Amino acid sequence: MSKDFEQQLHEALRPVDPEEGFEQRVLARIVQERSSTLRKVTRWASVALAASVVFAAVLGTHEWQLRREQEGLEARKQLLEALRLTGEKLDVAYQAVNREAPEPADDGSGA
Amino acid sequence: MIMKALFRHSMLVLVGTLSFCTNTFAADGQLKIPEFAGLADKAAESVIITLDPSLLRLAARFLDPSDPEDAAARAAIAGIKGIYVRSYKFDQDFAYPKADVDMVRKQLGAPGWQQLVQVRTRAEQQNVDIYLLVEQERANGLAIIASKPREFTIVNIVGSIDMKKLHELEGQFGIPKLDLEDKK
Repeated sequence: MSKDFEQQLHEALRPVDPEEGFEQRVLARIVQERSSTLRKVTRWASVALAASVVFAAVLGTHEWQLRREQEGLEARKQLLEALRLTGEKLDVAYQAVNREAPEPADDGSGA
Repeated sequence: MIMKALFRHSMLVLVGTLSFCTNTFAADGQLKIPEFAGLADKAAESVIITLDPSLLRLAARFLDPSDPEDAAARAAIAGIKGIYVRSYKFDQDFAYPKADVDMVRKQLGAPGWQQLVQVRTRAEQQNVDIYLLVEQERANGLAIIASKPREFTIVNIVGSIDMKKLHELEGQFGIPKLDLEDKK
């Protein structure tokens, strides 16, 4: 009984030569799995990169618009200030000219 | 001898070029305003405005057409290529370099510039000079130099100035009625 079992075990565990092409198939599978993983990583990396680029572009545009708006409002403020100052100085000249050349008095002749 | 002649010739060319550049500056209505370096630190108040064509366009985009002041400003700057303002107020008399202000005044002696108004008040020691650059019967530049012992202002507006539109600014920016309408 024990000898039979031993015999069976021996037969079961005897070295068996792999089928022809086994090594190539294993190697091919390894390569396939590696390239599949690489493809997945590459795909995710591409998606992440594209998302980063879109995010950076949106953020950049938003920043640029904010900066442009600030510059525009500042330019508007400067323009109004420049026109105010111009008006003020023209007014000084106008007042002075008016003081120097008073309007002729109406003599009531009606001529 | 040849070198000397060559040097003299080069100097003449250089002087000629500089003179041409100065005239060109005057011709387009833009004055060469000094830097007034460090004056802002000494001044109690300072206003430095440099609006070149691109900044003027940008400013115009931010003017609200429904606001009368903004609408008047938009109309006034049509045709204007630049606005340059330097204005300083001080706590002491003549703390500013008078020579620099006079240097700007001198540029207004160039052909084309016509003095519109000259105000000299003894009591306030105030001087106001208003010049127009007139080309082909059009005002292509405006310069205002106003000085008092404790302040001075230089305004230079470059470009085609429509005096009628300036007139329309009346009441918007403290600009007085200038009596520009034809008298009948």
